[in-house]
Amino acid sequence: MSKISAMMDIGKRSMMNSQTALQTVSHNIANKSTEGYSRQRVDIQSATPVGSGRLRIGMGAQAANVGRTNNPHLEKQILNEGSELGYSQSRAQALSRVEEVYNEQINKGLNKYLGEFFNAFRELASSPENLANRTLVKESAINLTKDFGRVSRQLTEIQKDLNTQITSEVYEINQMTKEIATLNEKIQHVEISGGQPNDERDRRDLLLKKLAEKINIRWAEGDNGMVTVTAGNTALLVSGYNQSELVAKTVSNPQDRKGETLKVFYKQNERLPLADLTNQFNGGALGAALEVRDQDVDGLLNDMDEMASAFAKQINQVHQQGFDRYDQPGMKFFTLESGDFNAAAKIRLNEFISSDVGKIASAANQGSPGDNRVANVIANLQYSNTMRSGKSTFDQFYNGAVGKIGVAADQANNRQESQAGIVKQLKNLRESISGVSLDEETTKMIEFQKTFDASARLIKTADEMLDTVLSLKR
Amino acid sequence: MRIADKMMFDQVTNNLQKNRAEMADLQNQAATLKKVNKPSDDPLAATRVLAFRTEGKANAQFLKTASQARSFLDYTDQSLNDLSDVLVRAKELVLGQVNDASGSGESRRVVAEEMKQLFNQSVQIGNRKLGDRYLFGGYKTTEAPFDFKGNYKGDDGEMRLPINKDTWLGVNIPGSKVFLGKQKLDHEVGDETVVEPKSSSEIIQAKNHEEKIKMNNRNKDKFKQGPSGGPAVRGPASVRTDSISSLQTNQSGESGRKVDGQGLSASEVRGQNVFDVLDKVYISLKANDKAGLQDSIDDLDNAFSQVIISRAELGARVNTLDSNVESLRKMNIEAKEVASQLEDADQFEVISDITKTEGTLKATIQTSGKLIQPSLLDFLR
Repeated sequence: MSKISAMMDIGKRSMMNSQTALQTVSHNIANKSTEGYSRQRVDIQSATPVGSGRLRIGMGAQAANVGRTNNPHLEKQILNEGSELGYSQSRAQALSRVEEVYNEQINKGLNKYLGEFFNAFRELASSPENLANRTLVKESAINLTKDFGRVSRQLTEIQKDLNTQITSEVYEINQMTKEIATLNEKIQHVEISGGQPNDERDRRDLLLKKLAEKINIRWAEGDNGMVTVTAGNTALLVSGYNQSELVAKTVSNPQDRKGETLKVFYKQNERLPLADLTNQFNGGALGAALEVRDQDVDGLLNDMDEMASAFAKQINQVHQQGFDRYDQPGMKFFTLESGDFNAAAKIRLNEFISSDVGKIASAANQGSPGDNRVANVIANLQYSNTMRSGKSTFDQFYNGAVGKIGVAADQANNRQESQAGIVKQLKNLRESISGVSLDEETTKMIEFQKTFDASARLIKTADEMLDTVLSLKR
Repeated sequence: MRIADKMMFDQVTNNLQKNRAEMADLQNQAATLKKVNKPSDDPLAATRVLAFRTEGKANAQFLKTASQARSFLDYTDQSLNDLSDVLVRAKELVLGQVNDASGSGESRRVVAEEMKQLFNQSVQIGNRKLGDRYLFGGYKTTEAPFDFKGNYKGDDGEMRLPINKDTWLGVNIPGSKVFLGKQKLDHEVGDETVVEPKSSSEIIQAKNHEEKIKMNNRNKDKFKQGPSGGPAVRGPASVRTDSISSLQTNQSGESGRKVDGQGLSASEVRGQNVFDVLDKVYISLKANDKAGLQDSIDDLDNAFSQVIISRAELGARVNTLDSNVESLRKMNIEAKEVASQLEDADQFEVISDITKTEGTLKATIQTSGKLIQPSLLDFLR
């Protein structure tokens, strides 16, 4: 049986529903540009009808819940590809800096100074008596050793900068895992009481994505709505309400050029000792920074050291066979203390030679100032296969290093570009599903406003109907 | 597809970013006129350009060395030309005095004075310098190779200058060869045992070889010189007391011709010693020795052809040098051409690309404005 009061009640609830919907619309509009936000919708269902038999009267609508429009599979895909993007971006960035060290398209570099060094010896060979030619040899040798030093120094600088990056990445990772743990707690609380933690979930999804950009993680959501996050293979960063930190710490390392290395440790809790998990972190920006530091740059530094020490050895060997202007046997041309380690940074022109160019030995025999044979042999070392046990010349070896970094940087750039394209596509897809459209919200706004108006009119009508009923008794 | 507002804004940002990046890259190419501005732009081209640059610089150095070699060779040739003039003049004089029809004891004494001048002139030619370097001293380029008696102080060193990759060219002819007639030098072309050393081990080899030659020479000298101490020189020993060298020796208070360690043993002297020949002519003229003069004509001829042979060798070297310079220049041009193809941007292409990208950029900006502006809200009043 129909009742006027029921009509008023339906009108009232409809007004409330419209208000809820309008408030959600305003929430959507306000969060139009919020990163990671998924648009929300009020789920309005028709209420259970009353009455019996053939006449069942609808009892209006009720707002069942406020849900978010979201595709979890897509989110997961974005997370994975985003991790790849974070890695390739960080790598491309670091390598483009390394590349500048070897960029001789614009700057002067080792290739030029190597050529000048050998040409100076050719000049010396053309007139060994000439003091100016000897000075030229000295200057070119000093320039060459300085440039070896420059390459070595700039590469080490890049390693230092990467250490700074690693430290700050670790700090951000800790901040994010802390927030994820807090969100875990909130989400669980809300869900236990039957609510929908839409905004918290959006935020947590976003944080997971950002975390994946920094470091390689695996994550899973439990039945209780809480996520567990593992970085690398074994570093359990978030488990329920608990968060464990990563620690970037410099430890002494005799195998490193500086004698110490910045490593990333896992601190499960205060009681357990730090665990060195540096090798496990091979993804995201952190993984890229570690890889470039320990493999690319270190490999280039090794190449430079190998080259500098082979160079000094070869030139010294020939130079010591000769005789200088004073008929003394040639001394070591380059001084290089303590073996091959850090040779590029340590190679120097012998001080005795730099203070007296007469000590440059160009003659193969004593008492022959015009003898240029040793100078000829040194100049010809440019074309001798002296590196890598007779497989390449100095020039080829250096150019090979330039090619190596060029290819690496090129690949990193390409990978970054294509990965950025993939992530852009996926994010577009996500926005298409979860993003806020003003037009849509405006339409909804009008729609619910009209519903609100109509519902109010309904109450008014019911009121008038009641008036009519009441006036029957006049 | 459902279009959210954020998609539009993102798309606008991305497209603008893309166009701007493209524009910046093209602008950089236009400014540097290079399409390879860093190794990653084209790793292969970048390394090849480096190799070509090294080659280009080395070629420039080889060209520089070649021009130095050229001036050394030219001046040596010039000097030998002067020397052959001296010998021609000496022969003229000898021919004039060799019989009594045209010469007499009196005239021979007069001519002897001119012969003395010719001797001195030869010594001067032997001591010529290019810059600070003596031409005929072998490796001993900083001291005069001949003293006033014509004694040789230099060595047999042949200075070889690098004029191309793995190519060296001897630029000097040691005085021992052209003036003293020593035929077999330590580094004679065709002497298989000594090549230009290319490594430190070969230097040692070369040195050992030289040591051996020196030792041999010393032994031979001892054996040949015998108790008399003087070198075995051709010519009538009976008249040697009156020679130029002994005259000059008397002035300086020394006696006899001295030969140092670098001196020649008779076995090596298969050619003519120019100074000895001139000295002999002088003695014969002074001593009015017609038979001696007659003998000298052959010696003078031999000495002359010895100089001519050296000049021919110089000429051959100049030819080698010229063709080498020619090929260096060609290689330089080719290297530059290839490097340019690898790294230089095509100006027209860059400019036309810039115009194209500029158009795209403008279109993007205009359409962006249109895309962002209208919303349903604009029509609700």
